[in-house]
Amino acid sequence: MCTSFKTELLKGVHNFTAASNVFKLAMYTNSASFNAATTAYTSSNEVSGTNYTAKGNAITTVTPTSSGTTAFVDMDNVVFTNVTLTGVRGALIFNEAASGDPTVCVLDFGGDKAASAGDFTVVMPTADSSNAIIRIA
Amino acid sequence: MNMPFEMSVGSVGVKTTNNRGFTPEEVAELCVDRLMIVSNDAPPAIRDQALAHKERMKAVIAVYMKQAIQSDRTTVYNAISDAGHKKLAEYIRKM
Repeated sequence: MCTSFKTELLKGVHNFTAASNVFKLAMYTNSASFNAATTAYTSSNEVSGTNYTAKGNAITTVTPTSSGTTAFVDMDNVVFTNVTLTGVRGALIFNEAASGDPTVCVLDFGGDKAASAGDFTVVMPTADSSNAIIRIA
Repeated sequence: MNMPFEMSVGSVGVKTTNNRGFTPEEVAELCVDRLMIVSNDAPPAIRDQALAHKERMKAVIAVYMKQAIQSDRTTVYNAISDAGHKKLAEYIRKM
């Protein structure tokens, strides 16, 4: 989770319900160096390949909800269709509609992934209080 | 008063294909994983019943997805045929 995102939540920068907020998922090679201090989208070390466009694909988010004392946001799987990509190690989720493309979180795929003239799907976790993509407990 | 507070990011997975798209069965599996969660800690009888139901849902979704694909092919066939590309339209119809 990016630290700047926590601050921006308190400032009302991000709204996972408003259609005016466009959250996107951009993918990166293992050369990218992201951590909690990452604040904004960058094109540096972003993957490139057939049918992949810079800044990646838009994410469909589900209205935040809660279970017990945990609030969470769910997101639909993100599919990059008919792409040829290699060495895809991770991703950034960021808010393209906010000034400066501020980041939400960094995702690590656990290893280099690839697709050749095929579909590349980022599978989001189960939408519950223990697994959802963004949780506030 | 002290309330613990924690923000967390969930773990994502990646599924890819080479030289093809996902099959209806593969997409149906992704679909049911989003629709239904079965806890490993659930009582065995309930868990088994839930898993069986999940498999049934997957099969039904896959069937309807195939129907949707075939129906869309009909639409594509007609659009391409109307544009004068009869041979290409016929090739798509036979896919």
